Amino acid sequence: PLSVSPAADPAVISPQDPTLLIGSSLVATCTVSPDFPLKAEDLYWTLNGRRLPAASYAALGPSTLSVALARLNGSRQQSGDNLVCHSRDGGILAGSCLYVGLPPEKPVNITCWSKNMKDLTCKWAPGTEGETFLHTNYTLKYKLRWYGRDNTCQEYHTAGPYSCHIPKDLALFTPYEIWVEASNRLGVAVSDVVMLDILDVVTTDPPSDVHVSRVGDLEDQLSVRWSSPPALKDFLFQAKYQIQYRVEDSSEWKVVDDVGNQTSCRLAGLRPGTVYFVQVRCNPFGIYGSKKAGIWSDWSNPTAASTPRSERGAGGCDPKGGEQNTTLRRELKQFFGWVKKHAYGCSNLGIKLYDQWRVWLQKSHKTRNQVGKEP
Amino acid sequence: PAGDSWGIFTFLCAALCNLPALPALNCSEELGAGQSIQQTYDLTRYLEHQLRTLAGTYLNYLGPPFNEPDFNPPRLARAERVPSATVDLDLWRGLTDNARLAANYRAYSRLLCYLRVLDGQVGTAELRHRLAHFCASLQGLVLSIGGVMSSLGYPLPAGPAGPPAGPPGTAPAPNDFLKKMDDFWLLKELQTWLWRSAKDFNRLKKKVPPAVVTLRLEARGF
Repeated sequence: PLSVSPAADPAVISPQDPTLLIGSSLVATCTVSPDFPLKAEDLYWTLNGRRLPAASYAALGPSTLSVALARLNGSRQQSGDNLVCHSRDGGILAGSCLYVGLPPEKPVNITCWSKNMKDLTCKWAPGTEGETFLHTNYTLKYKLRWYGRDNTCQEYHTAGPYSCHIPKDLALFTPYEIWVEASNRLGVAVSDVVMLDILDVVTTDPPSDVHVSRVGDLEDQLSVRWSSPPALKDFLFQAKYQIQYRVEDSSEWKVVDDVGNQTSCRLAGLRPGTVYFVQVRCNPFGIYGSKKAGIWSDWSNPTAASTPRSERGAGGCDPKGGEQNTTLRRELKQFFGWVKKHAYGCSNLGIKLYDQWRVWLQKSHKTRNQVGKEP
Repeated sequence: PAGDSWGIFTFLCAALCNLPALPALNCSEELGAGQSIQQTYDLTRYLEHQLRTLAGTYLNYLGPPFNEPDFNPPRLARAERVPSATVDLDLWRGLTDNARLAANYRAYSRLLCYLRVLDGQVGTAELRHRLAHFCASLQGLVLSIGGVMSSLGYPLPAGPAGPPAGPPGTAPAPNDFLKKMDDFWLLKELQTWLWRSAKDFNRLKKKVPPAVVTLRLEARGF
């Protein structure tokens, strides 16, 4: 490598650190400092470490070599393509960073939500994929519709790369205008304006203390209990819940939609001797008396529980789902038959009665098996 | 002769009486110098490990040829403002423990400043996150070295160990390519410093017996 002169840079490249549109062409020149005993023929160029063909060079003077680059692709890295002027032995004389890309497009799909009416988080999507060539800066801005001043969001990347969090000083019962500005070296683009009232986009924490437990010896049921999110007490909304559950080795979730505002639910029609994962989430609605629903919370962390193993059947083999349904239907028919016989005059066919019947059924199955008959 | 012994004895008594006035000799501290040194050594090794990942990511961000394994650009005059780990190992080892520790302390303080400036300018969120974590660990190393120096009775080098506005007495790089070269050398020097510091602390560990607070009387104006 060339020894270094302490006084000046060995060479100068022009243009230095230019910004260019994809597809454009460029002629760059490398001029060696007069302190250095180098001629144009002693030089060569590389772009991102790859030597450029001598056919694209031209000597513009005794110590100036140019290179022609045509139809440039987008920059390999956001810090800029490295165009370097070398001396014959490979030493670096000077370099220039080329920023090749596209101007940004309007950011799209702005969605926002407020956690417990205290803050606002918004996320958006970039207009095109092409925005990765150049570093693009996103700024989320917001203002009250009826007052003039623009505010700028400060806390970015809270919910993914294209997101921002406004932690405080938000007004309720009044609309906000929200938009995102994207800017890079080649230009600026502004998204469409989204208008919303904080109260329209409220979400809350998932329910806490989710417990899943067996229902006595019942093989096809699990009982789920949870606590309403603590924020519910602080302000006037009601909550509705949803449960989803799946078998341990499946990725297919079953959703229970009609849970209403209770904090417990019974899952039925399950497979015996199986581990289930259960999650609950909450939607705050009726905020300050409105009829509108809020935004569903995240699902609670999965809670696991297993149904008791089936007493009947050889080798713990569980009946398939279809069979289970017909079994259930048959059992219900038997149940109502039994009820007619034993519940004269009682108009409350509550779940407790069903349980008692199930227990009786299992006991009677046991005695039947002991006698050696098939159920 | 007996007179000298008596003199030394009186001298030691006087020194011991002045113990509370010596800030470096805090006998109530749980950590002996030996443990302090061990912790500093461990931190140095951890930083070495962290730097490997950080440097890999950062050099990929700078792009080829910076991330090529044999890349060795000229060390231009302006790049010499980054504290350089002396290649001459004999010279280095000939220094006193105090001098070596002080050099480490000053070097990492300045390297930390440069890294913090980098943090403010770097493009991707992932890099900023890694850099921030590394800076926090490096700040810990500076404090740890200070702790070792105190426990051995050495004075801390003067000057700010905390984050000033920018690296002392430097102008920013005149163009983006030169800045990339500066960044490359910063990471390279950090690697060399950490590699050498690990050896320094390992050697120091063997010199200082564990769980004993050593009295160093030479630098207190007696």
